[in-house]
This record gives sequence, C-alpha cells and structure tokens, in this order.
Amino acid sequence: MGVRPDNRLADAPMHPVACASCAGRVLVRKASWHQTSVQWTDEAQAACTSWSPGSAVLGFPPVCDRLRTSIADAVLDGTLPVVGDEQ
Amino acid sequence: MSDAQTGTTEVRHIKHEAVPTRFARGWHCIGLEKDFKDGKPHSIEAFGTKLVVWADSQGELKVLDGYCRHMGGDLSQGTVKGDEVACPFHDWRWGGDGRCKQIPYSRRVPLRARTRTWHAMTQDGMVFVWHDHEGNPPIAEQAIPAIEGGPSDPTWTDWAWAQTVVDTNCREIIDNVVDMAHFFYVHHAFPTYFKNTFEGHTATQLQKGVNRDDMRPAEVAIGAPKRLGNTSVATYHGPSFMIDDLIYHYEHGDTRTVLINCHYPIDENSFVLMYGISMQRPEVEDDDPAAAEALAAKMVATVRLGFEQDVEIWRNKTRIDNPLLCEEDGPVYQVRRWYEQFYVDVADVRAEMTDRFEFELDTAKPIEAWQREVDENVARRAAEAAEAAALQPQDA
Repeated sequence: MGVRPDNRLADAPMHPVACASCAGRVLVRKASWHQTSVQWTDEAQAACTSWSPGSAVLGFPPVCDRLRTSIADAVLDGTLPVVGDEQ
Repeated sequence: MSDAQTGTTEVRHIKHEAVPTRFARGWHCIGLEKDFKDGKPHSIEAFGTKLVVWADSQGELKVLDGYCRHMGGDLSQGTVKGDEVACPFHDWRWGGDGRCKQIPYSRRVPLRARTRTWHAMTQDGMVFVWHDHEGNPPIAEQAIPAIEGGPSDPTWTDWAWAQTVVDTNCREIIDNVVDMAHFFYVHHAFPTYFKNTFEGHTATQLQKGVNRDDMRPAEVAIGAPKRLGNTSVATYHGPSFMIDDLIYHYEHGDTRTVLINCHYPIDENSFVLMYGISMQRPEVEDDDPAAAEALAAKMVATVRLGFEQDVEIWRNKTRIDNPLLCEEDGPVYQVRRWYEQFYVDVADVRAEMTDRFEFELDTAKPIEAWQREVDENVARRAAEAAEAAALQPQDA
C-alpha cells in the first residue's frame, strides 16, 4: 500500500514549534492564520501539562490551549511562517 | 508554487496502485443483534469469504466460516439444532467453538474436524466481528466504546437502521471523514467549522454547519422541521465503525442524536454500508408515543439520501493515490496514513500512523464562496417564481 506525501508539503513543510509552558515539541504548519496542522509525538503528549479533553456533546475538540498560544506566538514573532502570507 | 505561477505545462497524472487484497484489522459491525436472534443461521459475505452467524441456545451469537469443512456446504443455508449449526448438505453439526460436534450418520467425528471461528461481540444492540489478517485475537485498546445515550438509554429511540451494498473499495468512505468541501457540493450542507484529529486507532471529525436557505424546499418536501444548523463530533473507532454525536439545532431548540456510520468489506471492490440513528426523545412527549421513532426514521431516510449522493460520486470516480489538494482541503493523505495501520502487520505499524495529528481548516474562503452561491440560488429562484407568476393567465 504505502501512502504518498501530501502535495501541499512540497513547497511549505511542517516547522518545529516548542511549547512555551512544557517540554513538548511538535511540528506545525499554517496555511493561513486560521488553518493549523499539528503533528504530535508520544514524547510531546507525555510532556503536555494542560491537556483539555474537550466535549463531544458541546462540540469542543480536545486541545492544549497553551500550545495553541505558543503556535500563535511563533507566528507573531516570525519563527513560524504562514503559507498564505508568502504570496 | 503552482503551475500557473511557474508557467509549467506538464500534465499531472492520476496514479493509483491496485486495491489492497487484505482487509482491515479491527471490529466490524455486521448489523443489529435482534436481526440475528431469530433461531436461524445467517449468511454474511465479508472479508472475501462467507460467514455463518447464529445464536446458540443461550442466545449468544456465534460466527464461523460459512463453508462446511466436510464437502463445502453452505452452513448459512442450514438450520440451528440445539447450540450447533447443521449443514444442509449432510447434517454435520458445528459448534460455536469451531469443532464438529456430531455427524448423525457416522460413528465418530474425524480428527481435525475444526473450522475457523470469528470473534464476535454484541454492544448497544449491534453485532461486531473481529477481522485480523494475521489471525490474532481482538486488541483490547481497539474495543468499541459504549455509546452515551442511544438505544440502551430509555430516553432515546431504538436504532432506525438501514444498509446498502456499495461497489467500490471502502477507502472511499474513509476519505469522507476529512472532506469538508464535498459536504457542500455533494450533500448540500454548509460547513462553517471543520477539524480532524487522528490518534491511535481513532480518527475524529468535528464539524459545525448551518443550513442552506437555498435547500429549504427539500426540507419542506419531506416534512422536516426547519433546521438552523448542526454540531457533529464523529469518531472512527478502528477502521470501520464511526460514532457521530450529532446535534441538530432547530428554532425550537436542540435535538441530540447518535448516528452510526459503519461498514464491512464484502471483498476488495465492494462493501456493505450500514447506518443507524438513535434520537433523544423530546422532554415534552408528543401525544403520539411513536412520534420520536417516526422522526428518527425520517432522519435515517435523509441520511440514506446523503449516502446515495456519495454512491453516485463513487460509482463514476476513479481511485486516486495522489490527490491534488488545495489549502482548503482536509488532511486526505494523513487520514490514509492513519488508515494504513489497519492493513499492515501489527509489527509494521509505524509511529507516524498512530501519532496524534490535528488539522483545523480555515473556513473563511469556503464560507465566503458558498454564501455567495447560496444567495445567488435564492435570488434566481425568486426571479423564476416571479416570472412564472407573471406568465400565469389571469382569471377574467
């Protein structure tokens, strides 16, 4: 079988982002301010200290708000590029 | 850089390998428990073979290979005798443990009279069969979770259930979990929020949507109340069984439902698609005690329409291993990477298939484009209606 690489990663790959509040490091890609891809590892999940399980009934996804903030900060300080901004 | 930007004229070719000859490892729902407990053996064509399913004298469901190891008779066409299924060809009696218990016309049962058994379990009124190409027993972490609400809760309706055969490889339906745009174009829905999360053996889609003003006539035609929108959290637990906590927002309030979307492969080119809805009964019961059931049945009819729309696409499309995605598409490659874990040997499951991956879509541009399209449809229909009214001969 084998799955091919996402064509969108050819021009704009995932970038490492370190969480500001734990030892977690993830890979992130942002196609725009509102689009976010996050690739976790077991290590990053084990390191995460502020995981929120979310709620299926209320429609909240499980999420780490602190990582979310760290990703936003990485965009603002220019260490995480936003694909749409390059054009 | 796109072709338009670089000025390249090279044509992109669609690529696809042959469909896998294996079937996914995991629990597969094969239908409702009550349908198998009628004292008869049932035939299930699945995983490239035929299974026989029956209930023993204690009401416990048993699943064996469908073909009798004696002369190849079809056990599912036989009868249940005591705890055993009896072959219609020569009355060999097979127990749920896979052993031949008795051959009425023979002094003794030959050695090695043992057939393949399939792990089965029942939960929330559904029957599940475990498939593993390596022949290992069920993996505990892949247990199907009990449903919150649903038919086991008396304040919810029983399953309104339906099934259909789809003649394509089942990867197509897995792709749907990440495909936001098709909900607008194929299903006439209007997603406004869309996020996927894959982790371990689960793949989740969180979707919020509003109803389309240009699609109200269809709603009115089936007598459904005016719906404002929906919030859906749908999770595949393993390769084939999705539980969707689906809340419909109406003018009069919310209705909680659980939608099951599941399938099992018949062979590599076809699968049985099944779906069911259970709905939380309204707090103020209608005069008609069956009103909630009737509404759930109506809902499952609309789900059927939705799947028929998918099937029409699948019937005509090609398999494609290298989809060309834009930034407003979902994580098609990543959901396939997740799905692949069920096809490789357990020893070959790689971290990238099971590590948590999140993909939140930017819906700004889709919402803008779709709202314009909806507005245009509404305006055009109003103009057509006005034109038709003007052409009506006036009564003298």
